[in-house]
Amino acid sequence: MERGRTQMRWVRRVLLAALTIWLVASITFVVVEQAPGDIFYLMAQEIAQARGVSIEVAYAQVRSMVGYDPTRPLLDRYLEWLRELLRGNLGFSYFYRISVNQILFQALPWTVFVLSIALLLSFGIGVLLGLVIAVRRRSWLDPMVTSYASLTDATPDYLTALLLLILFALNLKWFPSKGAYDSNLSPGLNLPFILSVLHHATLPILAYTLENIGAWALAMKGSAISVLGEDFIAFARAQGLRERRILTHYVGRNAILPMVTGLALAFGGMFGGSVLIETVFHYPGIGWFFKFALDHRDYGMMRGLLILTTVAIVLANLIADLVYPLLDPRIRMED
Amino acid sequence: MKPLVQVRDLRVTFDLGRHGRLIAVDGVSFDLAQGEFVALVGESGSGKSTTALALIRLVPPPGFISGGRLLWWGDSKGEPVDLLQLSEAQMRERRWRDIAMVFQGAQNALNPVMRIAEQMMETVRAHQAMPRDEILDRAARCLRMVRLEPSRVLRAYPHELSGGMRQRVLIAMSLLMSPRLLILDEPTTALDVITQAHILEILREIQEQLGLTMLLLTHDLAVVAKTARRVLIMYAGQIVEEAPTVTLFESPYHPYTRGLLQAVPTLRGDLTGKRPIPGAPPDLRHPPPGCRFHPRCPYADEMCRRVEPELEDVGSRRVACHHWRRVAQEAPSQKL
Amino acid sequence: MRTFLGDFLSALRGNRRAAIGSLILVGYLLMALIGPELIPMDSTMRYAERFRPPSLAHPLGTDYAGRDVLAQIVHGSRDVLAIAILTALFTTSMAVGIGALAGYSGGMVDGFLMLLTNIQLTVPAVPVYLLIGSVFQIRDPVGFAVLISLWMWGPLARAVRSQILSLKEREFIEAARVLGLGTTHILARELFPNLTPFVVIHFIRMMRDAITASVGLIFLGLAPFSPTNWGTMLNLAVFQTGAIYIPNALHYVIAPMAAIVLFQLGAIFFAHGLDEILNPRLRAPA
Repeated sequence: MERGRTQMRWVRRVLLAALTIWLVASITFVVVEQAPGDIFYLMAQEIAQARGVSIEVAYAQVRSMVGYDPTRPLLDRYLEWLRELLRGNLGFSYFYRISVNQILFQALPWTVFVLSIALLLSFGIGVLLGLVIAVRRRSWLDPMVTSYASLTDATPDYLTALLLLILFALNLKWFPSKGAYDSNLSPGLNLPFILSVLHHATLPILAYTLENIGAWALAMKGSAISVLGEDFIAFARAQGLRERRILTHYVGRNAILPMVTGLALAFGGMFGGSVLIETVFHYPGIGWFFKFALDHRDYGMMRGLLILTTVAIVLANLIADLVYPLLDPRIRMED
Repeated sequence: MKPLVQVRDLRVTFDLGRHGRLIAVDGVSFDLAQGEFVALVGESGSGKSTTALALIRLVPPPGFISGGRLLWWGDSKGEPVDLLQLSEAQMRERRWRDIAMVFQGAQNALNPVMRIAEQMMETVRAHQAMPRDEILDRAARCLRMVRLEPSRVLRAYPHELSGGMRQRVLIAMSLLMSPRLLILDEPTTALDVITQAHILEILREIQEQLGLTMLLLTHDLAVVAKTARRVLIMYAGQIVEEAPTVTLFESPYHPYTRGLLQAVPTLRGDLTGKRPIPGAPPDLRHPPPGCRFHPRCPYADEMCRRVEPELEDVGSRRVACHHWRRVAQEAPSQKL
Repeated sequence: MRTFLGDFLSALRGNRRAAIGSLILVGYLLMALIGPELIPMDSTMRYAERFRPPSLAHPLGTDYAGRDVLAQIVHGSRDVLAIAILTALFTTSMAVGIGALAGYSGGMVDGFLMLLTNIQLTVPAVPVYLLIGSVFQIRDPVGFAVLISLWMWGPLARAVRSQILSLKEREFIEAARVLGLGTTHILARELFPNLTPFVVIHFIRMMRDAITASVGLIFLGLAPFSPTNWGTMLNLAVFQTGAIYIPNALHYVIAPMAAIVLFQLGAIFFAHGLDEILNPRLRAPA
């Protein structure tokens, strides 16, 4: 009976996720189709001229590249496109004339790489800081962290990135200002390449991390303070447990629970910020390609990337939902 | 009877910043003999919980122990140890090993993310290294003493147990290190009457079997009647009366005690003549002059308003009232 | 109403952060309202004077075309603040409308609206803004405000909805007595006092987010409709004039940044203080 209920809950979650993705995808499809100018006609013309074929043939080629027939009415186009989407085809880049999948295959790993490390760092350090200042209320650390958090909250992420770029890349020249790795090196599991990758990723990671540490610290501080007031902390002290132990296993493990739900949310927000930060650092992740698509009115790519971003975030939320019960036994539905 | 703990002139102050200072425990002295079952009775705000917390030096800030001595005779040396003179590290060692305290409100006293077995292991390991199996054995024994089934309870998380079960787990945990003194703060509040009776039974059993010294804090005189052999009545941070239970119930010498007894209806007795004590406990930032109970006392006179009564020895009891003789004569006895 | 303002002002005086914050905000407001009249904007390009450092004539130096940076900041503040206030207004209206509709209707309407809200909260805003903004060609501050408010109403909508839901439960008791006539009256009387502090704090948050978003989008080159908008200044500085590569030109880059950060700080302090005033529990112990 319990297991049945758990499964029902899960089915509902997955359905909701799928529904979300579908709705977002559909809305973006409709929006893009409103875009002014008939790109397909231009493309067909170009192809017809370049390859010396008739407009109809050219159009057929455009149609096969794009995944749907641009001349058919909206609903038909939509259904064709949806079928392609369900097969995993994220669409067609109007500028590059290749499938979006090919672009994202190159770009997505970089974004995920930088975001994951940044999230881990900012969360890890932030949570530790938050815990420390929750316990030591009168130290110098508390006002410093709070001021830092206010300052980074006031500074949009792209400004943080800009400042880092100006200071460390352009003035001090300690870090490169563009690219994911030194183009002279050959990609592979060799040390120079890995070092170069890390070197290039440092400033973007730093931009995200510096921006978010303050928020995590303050959130954890709040959570830890409320846990500290709980009876079981006093009881643990009454039993003669060491303060250190109480801090990690009693305060820490309980205070961190509300933070975990924030992780998936933060991941989503960072995807949004990736457009700005990767642009500032010329870092070839999906954010950068999104900006590139914007500049060249490549709606196909924008649409594909937006859908991909949505999928990634929805997946992250699902995973967080899956992981959370493992941490908080009160939420588990065991049979 | 040999004393286990001697509390002398204990004073606990709360520093409330611009709201002033509050003396929650004002010169409290009492003895706890080895193997005794003593009840400390008072309304909320009387200072009884603070007194208990002071015994293990865990008064929460902004409170602090501002005076007195806590003489501990349990070390079986010639001289007692003043617990207030020990360093924090030394005190930490003694907590639970010598004195264990079960808090009020079992709902939140256990860590929600740890299984009971884990928490009991934490308790033991904080005091001595012991192999896991031994600890679990000991834990199982303690759980059986409170009539809980170890195989079921050890695996569980706190939220999977009922309120009564959690309370019993707390008691079991308090027995893990075989302490000399067990303090229980309102162990039966927020539990239904049947569970209450159950727990009190268990407490009596444990005390008899293990020869522990028990200090039970409560506001409920019915609980006192069923468990304690001696009662301490606390009001506004001071002890106002102390007597063997039977003697106290039969004839209270302090007006407050009398008021408490009159406020409690019995199952058989009629409700006429039952009334709560008028008024409310005083604000301890500005306690009333003289006897602290005088604003609510039917016997109060000019002397009561000016002179604070001392705790006098009268036979087997102590009482702090200028007019205890009158009270003793006039109060009808309350049969248990 | 008068006493509320009086209480508010005296509480404000007691709370240092809120006072500083409100001073900053009022300063910006004044700058936006009367600044452009006081400090005229000379748009003639004098390349000979490009990237001059701060001086008496040009307190914040000059830009790539020799124009005064301070004047640009002052003139740009009008746009920026207009977008911020408009966005907050639109967003609040949308949020209250959607939240109220969802809470009041219940059933499928509620379910659908909550699905939309969840989507708005899940999908990141920047890509959405860029996509919609480029398809629908934003040309003016009002359009910008509409665009940004489209993806901002989620949190407030949820809050309004839960308020209404909790009110509905109580409302049944009232309605039984008042024979249904007093329903809207009750809503107005109960809902507004409870929601107002919440809405005010959200309003400030929305203004902040609107500035961050609008400047960021213009910085990315979405719709440079105004040459003095701080986002445009940043865009020109970073992408088009190479100012970031020229050490002497840094004041041109830093000026709009500082203007943004200072405003945000003012808003943060003010909101903090407001929160403390409205939720006495949060006040730091004396």
